[in-house]
Order: sequence, then C-alpha cells, then structure tokens
Amino acid sequence: MSETIEEAAERIAAAGASPARPARDPVNRPAIRDWLAAIGDRNPVYERDGVAPPAMVQVWTMRGLRPDQEDELDPLRAMSAVLDDAGYGSVVATDCGQTYHRYLREGETVAVSSRLTAVAGPKRTALGEGWFVTTESTWSVDGEPVAEMRFRVLKYRPSATPATPKSEPIRPVIGPDTAFFWAGVEAGELRIQRCGECGNLRHPPGPACPRCGALKPEYAVASGAGRIHSFVVHHHPPLPGRRSPVVVALVDLDEGVRMVGELRGVRPGEVRIGAEVRADFADGLPVWRPAELVVLPPWELAVTPTVVISTALATRDFQDVHHDRDAAVRRGGKDIFLNILTTTGLVQRYVTDWAGPEATVRGVEIRLGAPCHPYDTLTFSGSARGGEVAVTGRTRTAEHVSGTVRLAP
Amino acid sequence: MIARAAAIAGIGATEFSKDSGRSELRLAVEAVRAALDDAGLQPRDVDGLVTFTMDDNAEIAVAREIGAGELTFLSRIGYGGGAACAVVQQAVLAVAGGIAETVVCYRALNERSGRRFGQATMAPGIDASWHYPMGLATPAAMVAMVAQRYLHDFGATTDDFGRVTVAARRYAATNPAAWFHGRPITLDDHRASRWIAEPLRLLDCCQESDGAVALVVTSAERARDLRRPPAVVCAAAQGSGSDQFVMTSYYRDEVAALPEMGAVARQLWRQSGFGPADVRTAVLYDHFTPYVLMQLEELGFCGRGEARHLIAEERLPINPNGGQLGEAYIHGMNGIAEAVRQVRGTAANQVPGDGPVLVTAGTGVPTSGLILSAA
Repeated sequence: MSETIEEAAERIAAAGASPARPARDPVNRPAIRDWLAAIGDRNPVYERDGVAPPAMVQVWTMRGLRPDQEDELDPLRAMSAVLDDAGYGSVVATDCGQTYHRYLREGETVAVSSRLTAVAGPKRTALGEGWFVTTESTWSVDGEPVAEMRFRVLKYRPSATPATPKSEPIRPVIGPDTAFFWAGVEAGELRIQRCGECGNLRHPPGPACPRCGALKPEYAVASGAGRIHSFVVHHHPPLPGRRSPVVVALVDLDEGVRMVGELRGVRPGEVRIGAEVRADFADGLPVWRPAELVVLPPWELAVTPTVVISTALATRDFQDVHHDRDAAVRRGGKDIFLNILTTTGLVQRYVTDWAGPEATVRGVEIRLGAPCHPYDTLTFSGSARGGEVAVTGRTRTAEHVSGTVRLAP
Repeated sequence: MIARAAAIAGIGATEFSKDSGRSELRLAVEAVRAALDDAGLQPRDVDGLVTFTMDDNAEIAVAREIGAGELTFLSRIGYGGGAACAVVQQAVLAVAGGIAETVVCYRALNERSGRRFGQATMAPGIDASWHYPMGLATPAAMVAMVAQRYLHDFGATTDDFGRVTVAARRYAATNPAAWFHGRPITLDDHRASRWIAEPLRLLDCCQESDGAVALVVTSAERARDLRRPPAVVCAAAQGSGSDQFVMTSYYRDEVAALPEMGAVARQLWRQSGFGPADVRTAVLYDHFTPYVLMQLEELGFCGRGEARHLIAEERLPINPNGGQLGEAYIHGMNGIAEAVRQVRGTAANQVPGDGPVLVTAGTGVPTSGLILSAA
C-alpha cells in the first residue's frame, strides 16, 4: 500500500513517455489573435504568414476549462496526484525551457507527449515545504517533432507561518555631496566628480578636493567605458530583493577613477579581470555589462487585473489563482498572479519587439522568481550577445523572471 | 613614549558559544569580573573603562553592574574589530598619562544568537551607498573583492587561503576553549566548502560567536606586584591608510594591500625595538583568511605576495588558540587574551621561547596592533 514519494516517482519515470495526446483544436487564427491581444504583441508576421507565436506552443495542448476526461497517463498529473495525497496540494511553476524547431502553421494539429525526468524533495522553500517535479514534453505534427519543453513545478504545502516579510533591495542614501551622482543615474549619465578648481576627477565623491583643497565640486560625464579591476560572485547570504549569484565588479573607468557596480549579462564563470565593460543603468543604479553586449531598451508593463485574467484565458490556463482573487487569497497568495505561459509569452514579445518581425525565435528559457500581481509594474530589461538575449523582468521590489531567448542566426 | 609603560595584568572571558542564553551586559560583567579576579584586583580598583563603539554595553552600565566607584577615563574606538588593540592602546595612554590607574577593556557580543554581522541587513550610510546597493552588502563580499585581486596580482590560489584555515583548525582542535575543539579539517574540506562570495568559501570566513573578553591594564610597575606575571605592552599602535574606507578601500592604486596595517607595523617595530625575526608567535586578526596573508606581508614577515610560502612552510606559529576561525569571534579581543597567555606561558598550545608576541586587530578598516612581552 504505502508507496513512498520516491517509489512513485521511480514508477512514473520508468513508464517513460506518455502516448501523444492531440490538441482539442488545430492551430487557429482566433486563438492566435486573442493571445496577441492579451500579450499586447503587435508583431505582424503571424497573421501575414499564417503561423503561431512560438511561445504559444503549450497553449494548444492545454486541457481547457472542462477536460473531457482525466488523463492518468500524463506523468505530471500522475505525480501531482501522488503529492496531493501526501499533503503537497499547492502548485507553482518555477522553470520553463522551450525549444522551437519551427513555427506552427494554422490548421496543423499538434500532439504532446511527456515524461517525468526528476522529482526532488522535500525542500524547504519560501512558500513552504515541497517537491520539485520536472517533466520533458515533445510536441509533434504527424510524428514530426516541432517543439520541446523542460518544465518544472513546485508542489508544496503552504507554510503555516506567513512567508518572511518581503525584502526590499538596499537603496542608496543620498546626501548633498552625492546627489549629483544619483541625479545622473536618473538622467542616464554616469557622473564623476570633477574639482571646479583643479579639474581633479574623483570617485567616490565628497565636498572637498583632496588634491587642491577647493570646495567647488562639479562633475564630468563618463564615457561609460572601462575594464574590470576585480570582481566578486556573491552567493550567500541572500541579498534583499535579489537572487544569488550576483556578480559585482570594481571597474577602472577610462577616465581614471574606479567604481563598483553589478555586472550583468555575463555568466559568473566567464568574468575575467581586465575584460572591457560598458556602463548602463538599471533599478536606479549604475550597472556594468560586457562591452560586446547590445543593451535592449527597457519595457514597462503596467499589470492590471485585466492583463492577468485576459492572458490566463488566452493561454487557456483556467486555474483559479489566475482569475479568482478570493481563491488566490484562500490558497495563500495576496492576489491573482500571472501564469507561466504568459510570462513566457511576454519574454518572447519583449525580444521580438526589439529584434523585429523577421527574427525567428528558436527557444525561450525562463526561471520564475517572485509572483507578479495586479498593480505591479513589470519592467523588462535585456542584453544580447550573438543570438542569445538575456532577459530580466522585475517588479519594483523583486525579480519576477530571468531567462534567455535564443534567436536563429 | 608609551613603550613598556603599562601591562596587561588580568584577562577574563566567558565561554564561547553560539547561543549564550544571556544578555550582552551580563556577558560583559562576567568577563570583567573574571579579568579582575585574574589580576587579583577588586571592582573598586577600576577607574577606567574602554570598549568598541560597536559594543552595545555602556561603560556606566558595566561600572554599575560590577560595583565600580568613580571613573576618570571612559573611551571608545570605532571601526569594528579594528578597535581590538586600540582599546588597549587607549588604556595604556590613560595609565601612562596618569589619567587612570586600572583600566578595563571589554567587548561583549551575542554575535551569533543576536545581531549577525554577516547578514546583508545593514542600512547603508553615504560611503556604503557606493557598495551595499550594488551587491557588496556583507563583510565577506567586501573582502572577496580584495582577495580576487590578490590572487590575480600574485598568482596565489584559493588553496593558499585554505591552508590558513587548516592551520587554525589544527590549533583549535587542541584548545579546550575553542568552539572547534577536537574538530580539525583538511584542505579537501576547505575545497569542498560552499562559496560565500567567490573567491571566498565558507571555511575562509571566521565563525560567528557569543561571548565576552575583558583585559585589565595597569602600569607595568604595579603589574609586577599583582597576582599574575605581567604581559608588558612593548608597543601599541593604531593606523589608518590614505583614502581609507570601511572594508572597501578600493580606490587606492593598489587594492590588494593593507597600508593601514603597514602604518601599525612601522610604529610597533619602532616603539618596541623588536623586528619580525624576534617574534615568537603572532595572533593575527583572521575574520577572513586572505587578510592573514596580507597582514604577514604588511608586518614585514615576508615580501609582498610571498605570505603563501611562509604559511605553507609553517615558518611562524600563527594564532595558536585557533584564531577566530577556530576558537571564537570576539572581535579580536580573544586574540589579545591568547597573546597574554603565550607571554605567561599558560596557553593551551604554548609556543616555546621567550620572544615577544604580536597581536593585531581587524583588517580592511582603520586597525591596531600590540607587541606584548614578559619584560
């Protein structure tokens, strides 16, 4: 009788891939238009070419509001049932990596097949104790694989104690001697204090010139170019409102002063002393990016209840936490929140808005952080190197999503 | 001239733990009483009290609780653990200047069960606003920036950091007062410990501890008549470098250096008349392993970038109590107590010989140092 969670996971994984389950409807224009409208994607290429946005792939095989029958062969459903019985009744998606071999065309009917690849737990998380369940799915049209996805959810038991108070990122303290610098950050300028008497450049700034003694601080605007003098990869303890690891670099600016900032758009293992960086601005702070990176303009999305609900419906996700506030609160949330299919779609839209309608998306890989609720402002930023675009979406207080979009060469 | 004017006549401490279960004030009182007992003095003898600005126990509260009378000298030193030897210097100055006769230096903290310095919870001031918001919000991360550059400049490796902690834990293993008594580690343990802030691993960071240490300072002449053999303060120095910041002096030409400790070293050798070759053992402030290497260089035990060879060849016994990596983190004050025991010949891991003992305070900040000797 009493099969352990691990034994159930082994049994379900051993069963391998589920039989291909066809979508209810073929790929169709009305559903595409609803999705484009909800996501706010104005890319004309889909209607022009009669193809579906790539990030919609999962939408076609969503089960809908009233599934015809329970699908006991679906490994995620089977594993979820085991965890439900063990008391881990709540669910949240945490990671999604999609690869697109080609865009789907209107009229095609896709089928999906999934297998269970990992079950890890029990883990203590901010939401409560739970298990991470990873599945891999393949979508095919008449036996031709068109897309693949690695999908990870957390099945958890909501913690009785309220989650730790939301931590706000550390903000700078601004004083009369340093206000010019932070005003520069707001204006998109990297300012270096310059003595109005002797012209000495200096960072960090102060009221007096240590070289000539003058009390006449002015500033110069830095080119933003520099090289890494040293760096740190911060892992532990958690930084308020940030997700580790965080790379922080001490940079020798071309103007001859040093400055500290987060280094973004680079993998921790790739950072080298001496590497060229360029200054950028994010979250009210100066940040560095590798010099060869192209920085995407930020995009702000005011998330309203309509955004949350219309995108949930357009992605055919009828879970109550995405449209019913009372239900979301009952399940321990503070309000309804964006579903992962939408976040995937928003990330895809952000990158194709920048890359242009002719860009072809080969894959989207995202990791979810804090949930995004109505009345949050979601700010996307990104940087591209070659065909890889790193994207981050933050609310005012926390990171909602980070990920990578791969474009065809 | 303050050299050899005063001595440490008594040392006292609480047990070192992760959860003392009592107030910091009570810890302070216990340590101060123990130090006075050790010296053979009474609370009524105390006329001066010195501590760290970071200590949360008011001098007057400590004086009330131990039952001291009138005080003529009250002083505090800033910059975290950089104050450790400087509080003794304050006491020496007061004694040598005739301001006070019996000065007690104390530091009491529930650093593990209370406010933990390693958490990223401090609100920044103006200076820290160039670092905390950017992700350098813990001492480990701030030191890691210097450590990374040190590796780059001198071709050292993280194993060189690891050898510092392995040596400390070997000493702690045979010191019954050490938290890590009986628990030595290997270099592989260091290599396997998790990253805190690359290039620093967990085992490059000192412990977090609850506890208190107190030291009784009086004139060298009077100390000779007290219960214990005196640990004469042959030199006591403070130092701050140019363009000094707290843990983030990143704006000097050389990042991988501790000129503030260089300033302390020059004074120590000049005041005492000793040189590095005379030193029997050194108790070096070891909140993070890279700074042990850099201190050895600034103090003149070896050239710049060469400390890893000195450590690997074990040419100088360092932190025979196990240091803050192995014994406890009492903000450097337990290191001074160890230096006194070494001078007295009563240490758990007694280093033979009669040469002077060097002890230093927190690094990366304005710092301080002492040279103690039996005469």
